[in-house]
Amino acid sequence: MMRLAAMVLLAVVAALPLGVRPSTPPVTWLAVAALAVGGVGVVAWSVPVVTAAGSLVVIAYALALAIAGAADDSLTAIVLGAALVLLLALVHFGGRVRGAMIGPSVIASQARQWLAVVGLGAVAAVVLAAVATPLGVALRRATLPMVVIAAALGAVLTVAGVIALVAREGSRDPES
Amino acid sequence: MTWRPTALNISFLTVVGWALFLTVVTGRVELAVVAVPAIVALVAGRRPGAPPAWRIHRELSTARLLEDECVTVTVTLRGEGALPLVELLEPLPPRVGLERGSNHAFFTLPAGREIRWTFELRGVGRQHLRLEGPYVRVWGPLGLAAAEARHRAPVTAAVYPRHAPIRYLPHPRRTQTFVGNYVSPTQGAGIEPGDIRPFAPGDQIRHVNWRATLKLGALHVTRHHQERNADVVLLLDTLSEVGPDGETVVDAAARGAAALAAAYLARKDRVGLIEYGGQPRWVRPGAGRAHLERLLDTLLSASVVFTYVNRDLDLVPPRILPPQALVVALSPLLDRRFVRAATDLAARGFDLLVIAVSPVPAARAAARRSAVADVAARLWALERRAELEEYRRHGLTIVEWDGAEPLDAVLAAWSRRSRRRVLAG
Repeated sequence: MMRLAAMVLLAVVAALPLGVRPSTPPVTWLAVAALAVGGVGVVAWSVPVVTAAGSLVVIAYALALAIAGAADDSLTAIVLGAALVLLLALVHFGGRVRGAMIGPSVIASQARQWLAVVGLGAVAAVVLAAVATPLGVALRRATLPMVVIAAALGAVLTVAGVIALVAREGSRDPES
Repeated sequence: MTWRPTALNISFLTVVGWALFLTVVTGRVELAVVAVPAIVALVAGRRPGAPPAWRIHRELSTARLLEDECVTVTVTLRGEGALPLVELLEPLPPRVGLERGSNHAFFTLPAGREIRWTFELRGVGRQHLRLEGPYVRVWGPLGLAAAEARHRAPVTAAVYPRHAPIRYLPHPRRTQTFVGNYVSPTQGAGIEPGDIRPFAPGDQIRHVNWRATLKLGALHVTRHHQERNADVVLLLDTLSEVGPDGETVVDAAARGAAALAAAYLARKDRVGLIEYGGQPRWVRPGAGRAHLERLLDTLLSASVVFTYVNRDLDLVPPRILPPQALVVALSPLLDRRFVRAATDLAARGFDLLVIAVSPVPAARAAARRSAVADVAARLWALERRAELEEYRRHGLTIVEWDGAEPLDAVLAAWSRRSRRRVLAG
C-alpha cells in the first residue's frame, strides 16, 4: 500500500515538468529518466536513489520553465515542492518499517504529521510566491548582475543556514 | 538520549540546493517556490530539548525450555511524554529463530499510555538464551531527527537439549540397594515370584503357595525377587566435536544423554554425569526431578575446551563413578584419549556401553555438497566401521548412532540383537 502511494507520488512528480512543456525532448527524457530511477528507488525503498530522481525532476522542471518562457506558474511549483517532500518522507518511512511490526494508528499519525508539515510548507510557498511577484516588478529596473548576485547570495545563505541548523543539532550529541 | 539529524536531511538539502541553484541560473522564482516546502520541513523537523522519557519492561514466558520449543517475549512500553513514533528492535542472538511476530516494531504512544508487544522465539540447539535488551529509537517529525538508546536489561532462559522418550534402556548388570524397577537375583520383598521353600516360623500367611502345599503335603511359601534400582553414569565425550554450530556431535551426544538421564530417572535409578573433556566436570549420581534439572544444566554448558593436559578417569572419585554402576558413554570416538579411557574402564570390569555418535553426517552437513565430499564421506564411514570393529575386539560394547534417528530405535535394535545372540549361545 505504501509502495503504491509512493509510486503515485513519483508519477505526479515526474509528470509536473511535462505539464509545463509537454513533448519537448530533453524535458521528456529527463522526466522518463526520473521516473525510472525513482521507480527503482521506491521498489528498493532507497532514499538516495529517490533523491536523485527528485533532483532530475527539479532539473527537468527548470529546463521546461527556461524553454517555455511561460508566465509565473506558482501552483505547479508548490505542488512539485510538496509532492517531493511527501515522496522523500514516505520512502524514508517505508524503508524503516520494512519487515517490522507496525502498531495501531502509526500510519494515520504519520500521515497527519506529514500533511501538517507539507501544508505549512505550501502556505509558506504561497506567501513567497505572493511576495516574489511585486518584488520582481520592483527589481525589473535593477541591473541583471546585481539581481543575480543578490539571488545567489540569498540561495547560498539559505542553504548555509539550513546546514548550520542541522549541524548544530548533530553536535549536541556527544557521540556524534 | 539526544536528538540527532538523520540522513533524510541530506536528501532535503540536495533538493533545496538544486532548486535554489537553478533559481539563480534560470532567474525563475518558481524554482525557489519548489524549495520552500523542503525548507519548512527541515525547520519543522528540528527537535529542541530532550526526547520524551519512556519505560520498558520485558519478560519471558518461561525460564526453561527444550530445544525447538518456543518462548514468548512480552515487552511493555510506557511513554512518560507523547511518542509520535517509537521504534523498538530486539537483536536476536545466534541460533534463536523468530517463530511468530517480529522483533522489530513501530508504535505511536500518547503521553502516559502503555503498549504491549509480544513475539515468539524458538531456541535452535541447547544454549543459554540471553536477550540483552532492545534498541529504542524515537523519531521526530518526517523522520528528520531521531534519538536512540539501548535499554540494557538482559533476560535469560535455559534451552535444554530435547530428550525423546526411551523405552528400550540398556539394563545394568548389577543393582543397588534402593528400591527400583529392576528384578534383582536376590530374594526378599518384592512382587516378582521366585523360589518355593518350606514354611518357616515368621513367614507371612499371604506368601503361602497353596498349590505347592497341597501337592507336597506340607506348607510352602513363595519367595520373591527384590526390585532394586541401579546407578547409571553417563560419560559424555567433549574432547572433540564435528559439525555445524548447534548440530555438532557433542550436541547430539548431549541430546542422547538427556534422553537417557530422563528415562533412567523415571525408573527410579540414580544417574550421574561425567563430562570427559578439557575441563572434566561431573554430577554425583542422584535421583528425582530436581536431579534431572541439575543434569540438564550440566549438559547445557557441555562444550569442547581444548587442552594438551591428559586427564585420566582414575581421578574421578568412586562416589561419582561407583564400581557397580552401568556406564553409558556417548562419544564420536574421534579422540584416542577417550577410546583409551573407555577401554580402561571395560578392562577394570565396569559395565560399559559406548554409544558411538557418528561424526560423518555432522561433517557432511557442515561441508559443501560435492561429489568428492560424498566419496570422502563414504570412505570415512567405511574406515570408521573397521575402527569400531577393532574396538569391539578390545572388549568394548558399541552401539552406533548417527545422532539424527531416535536413540530409542537404535537401542531397541541393539537389545533385540543382543538377546538373539544370548539365545544362540
